[in-house]
Amino acid sequence: MPYNRREFIKTSAALIVAAKLATPLKVMAAVADKAKHTKIIQSTIRYVKSTCAHCVNFCGINIKMENDVIRAVYPDPERAAFYNVGICPKGVSGVFNTYNPYRIKKPLKRTNPKKGLDQDPGWVEISWEEAFETISSKLKAIREDDPRKLIWQHGHGKYLIGDKFPKAFAKAFGTPNLVHRTTTCEAARHVADELTWGYHGFLPDIEHCNFLLNFGGNYFEAEQFARWLDHAATDAKERGMKIVVIEPRLSSTASKADEWIPIRPGKDVVLILGMARLLIKNNTIDEDFLLGTTNATALVADDESLLKDKDGQILVWDELSESAKPFAEGVKPALRGRYLVDGKTYITAFQHFTDSIEDITPVYVAEVAGVPEKKVRWLAEELGKQAKIGATVVIDGHKLRYRPVAIHTFRGLSAKEFGVQNWRAGLILQMLIGNIDAVGGINLHSVYKKPQYFEPSKAEYPPHRVDLQESVFFPHASHNVAQQVALTVLDPQRYGLEYTPEMQIFYATNRPFSTSDTQKQFASLKKTYNVVIELVMSETAQMADIVLPDLTYLESWHSSPTRYTPRTNHTAIRQPVSNAYKIEHDAYSVLWQLAKRLGILDEYVKNINKQWKLKKHPLKTGRDYSAEEAVEQIWLEQSKDKDFAYAKEHAFIGKHLSAEKTYLSGVEKKFKGPGKPKMNFYAEQLVHTLENVKQQKKQHRLKMIDLERYRLALSPLPKKEHGFPTPHREAKDFPFYLITYKRMYRNQSGNTALNPILNALGPDVQENFVLINQKSADQLDIQTGVQVIVETRVGKVQGKAKVIEGIRPDTLAISYHYGQQSLDFPDYAKKGIWVNSVLENYSDVVSGMDSFNDSKCKLIKV
Amino acid sequence: MTKLVRVIDMERCMGCRSCIAACHMENHYTPGSPWNEMVEYENGSYPDVRTIFGTMACMHCEDPPCQKICDEIDVHAISKNEYGVVTVDYDKCTGCGYCAPVCPYGVPQINKEPPQALYPEQQTPYEAIPSAQRHPLHQKKNNVMEKCTFCWHKLEKAITAGEPELIGKKPEYTPSCDLVCPVNARLFGDIDQPDSEVSAYIGKKKAAQLKKQAGTNPQVYYVVRGGDF
Repeated sequence: MPYNRREFIKTSAALIVAAKLATPLKVMAAVADKAKHTKIIQSTIRYVKSTCAHCVNFCGINIKMENDVIRAVYPDPERAAFYNVGICPKGVSGVFNTYNPYRIKKPLKRTNPKKGLDQDPGWVEISWEEAFETISSKLKAIREDDPRKLIWQHGHGKYLIGDKFPKAFAKAFGTPNLVHRTTTCEAARHVADELTWGYHGFLPDIEHCNFLLNFGGNYFEAEQFARWLDHAATDAKERGMKIVVIEPRLSSTASKADEWIPIRPGKDVVLILGMARLLIKNNTIDEDFLLGTTNATALVADDESLLKDKDGQILVWDELSESAKPFAEGVKPALRGRYLVDGKTYITAFQHFTDSIEDITPVYVAEVAGVPEKKVRWLAEELGKQAKIGATVVIDGHKLRYRPVAIHTFRGLSAKEFGVQNWRAGLILQMLIGNIDAVGGINLHSVYKKPQYFEPSKAEYPPHRVDLQESVFFPHASHNVAQQVALTVLDPQRYGLEYTPEMQIFYATNRPFSTSDTQKQFASLKKTYNVVIELVMSETAQMADIVLPDLTYLESWHSSPTRYTPRTNHTAIRQPVSNAYKIEHDAYSVLWQLAKRLGILDEYVKNINKQWKLKKHPLKTGRDYSAEEAVEQIWLEQSKDKDFAYAKEHAFIGKHLSAEKTYLSGVEKKFKGPGKPKMNFYAEQLVHTLENVKQQKKQHRLKMIDLERYRLALSPLPKKEHGFPTPHREAKDFPFYLITYKRMYRNQSGNTALNPILNALGPDVQENFVLINQKSADQLDIQTGVQVIVETRVGKVQGKAKVIEGIRPDTLAISYHYGQQSLDFPDYAKKGIWVNSVLENYSDVVSGMDSFNDSKCKLIKV
Repeated sequence: MTKLVRVIDMERCMGCRSCIAACHMENHYTPGSPWNEMVEYENGSYPDVRTIFGTMACMHCEDPPCQKICDEIDVHAISKNEYGVVTVDYDKCTGCGYCAPVCPYGVPQINKEPPQALYPEQQTPYEAIPSAQRHPLHQKKNNVMEKCTFCWHKLEKAITAGEPELIGKKPEYTPSCDLVCPVNARLFGDIDQPDSEVSAYIGKKKAAQLKKQAGTNPQVYYVVRGGDF
């Protein structure tokens, strides 16, 4: 007889009603019956809260332990009010980041002296004692000779134990060469921020925003604030916020937006300047903001420097006295115009900008950027309208500027040869509408924390660092220059480095795999003695002399970094639940051991206290500290003496920020009004940096410094020329633009390629593809699945095509994180295309940013 | 009355596949037999195109055709319990596969391959959890049908604890796919409670059942916009 659920329910109605108080007898009987026939061994279940470290979102997690086995990872519901609501598939399957037979379990030593991606290193296991003895002997010799010859490189390692421990070690050792990965991430965006407002980092005030323009920031697939932006933007969209995503490929973020505008790669700055021109022409600008908070009123000379008085104060044209004066009480600065001062003509920075973009008409934008003229006009009008210039709103008793529009980007604008200028254009556009630190606008992080960013760079030569940070080569590179290390190691004399690096320690970074033009990166590793601390035999580890195993984020202690939002921040820890392969050390204890054996432990401890700002709870010299003990001291300091037991129970402590803190402690406090420094609408420091570069070039006869390239990059205002990176100008025979992007299921280090759950999320996740537009594919007779070759001026890669509608016809896209090369990996983890190996590298000379998205290519059907 | 339903909001779903990963992890994934799958496709043509994201697992139909056919051939491996959850008894299932073609949603997975470790090279501590320590629905066998169970092993705990009203609210009593979603695109709860979150959501966002014409009355509702699914 067919089962009838309605009859079943009728007869059980009384039982079901009683279910609120007692379990229905029938179900209990069924459960008991099952238990009787299928013996179940009881296990102990417990939950441990911690912080995920798969990426830089640092989501709160709740780990389920079944006896001693990591059974599952869930989101921590307590963290939802401060950051993440859920977790991504990498976090969900984090169990297999730890339980992974491909983990390095013992220290290994190379026996084959030949290094290469095609060379079997001939690993032999060695004891930790031999490893420490070998490494510290080499370090001792280097330290006695020239400690600068040691390079410490980390990437994800910064988020596993923090960069403060390595920084403390590097300082105690005496090397300046500690290099993080930011120029393979978003350094250009940071430097643009720093040049403009004295620190870096911003978020859209999503809660109050009504119109979000997103230039290639993909918070549904990647991005460092993704796990907040994803749910916040989704909620805001339901509330009525309109989202426009401007990027060449239809990402998941573009798919969920109200509109996708497929812009030609690299031409965003042209669109932004075109929009700025329209806003100015329509007079839809926030003059009060420009006059009171920015240096748009500064007077620019013919040589592009700003007019200053004898005390170095920037002068404006006072409309009341009709003279040039510092902006003080009683001065009414002019925003527009040309003025005669002491027989010389000066133009306001705003006027200079207006004049410079006069020819960036909607027709021009359409031609260059591939955005229809009507759309350009609509974007500018909508931005101006939605900005509600002049509006205010009262929150918590404070009357605040209300500008509910925001422009967002991550790598979309910054991973480019002119990344700094791209984002400077985005900031200037927002200065025009006055949405900075306004309710609903963009919220800046720690405004003017480092006033030194407003100074010109000395453009140092010779460089003292191997990555050429803040040297004549990358004068404003304040976040290291990750990809440059390899190039300098290959030819130190070319860059004027006074020493030849001998040893590199790589901690949790697959640096050479993850940059552009990667062949040179691997070639450089043949020149140095390499120690790699890693989870699995990555491509970088394969080039090591000694490999040390590491503990995963589920096996180790750390004072975890956290992500803030405009209205919240939190302090968190990470705590271990396992040590799957009984590994004795992680990078924290490796550094401790090395410091001890080098006789610099006390100095190291003092530096740790300085780096972590441990004033009330410093580490003491003369004793060892386990990772847990060190984390406890850091927690006590950061939480202002909250008991460590609280940390172990909750893993974090969160704070809601006041409206005053969010909206009134930034530009309103630091820049607004007479007598205060001003936000750099016009980045004058770049003008003087260029002078210093010229001087260095002349003095040291630096042939490789192309002054025209530096003049363009160091422009105090963004220009249309910044939409034409070198490959676009030179690679004429390469018809397609080549861009890259990230996918949710992988990272660069390769351990995700081995994760069986991540490899089981669908038939399309084990490899990547060359994405090509349907029309272009039809013209070339290419179908999904056929093998194609992508050729750039650097080299060729081959892989499968995937024909889609969601990409510009003149553009191809290949994601990162595939095409692993490690000899140790099984075939299933090595599928796909290693796109990094063919990307051209024309680093942004301002910030050192690696240019990932400027390449041009050919496409050939195999 | 209690009728457990799931709501999947495809307007909110961003296609991250966390729910797929969560299902795999929670339910001791059998390679080749996913209980939850992402369906992702483009709708439109350049430049007016969007990618649609949605997941599909068992619909736990009110009138499950899989159970009907299984009863008709006198195997009786499939049952639907008090809370509307449709489950398979692996001991009774013969792996005949008749349930697969009658399901309008393509849900039943017949795992024809012998059980494999997730890493072909080595079993991990997770996989080494003894069968006898696992819930019966996780005591996988070769050559049987397996599918989404609404994480019955979690819901059962709520019932045993006398807290069925907390199903879908307390994380320990919420199916893992619904628990991990980063954008709150999934809900789970009792539609027969008029003040429940799922009831309100279905009403407010006009969530609908898929393939209603099949007449199986599924207990999974979708908020669908802008394309067939």
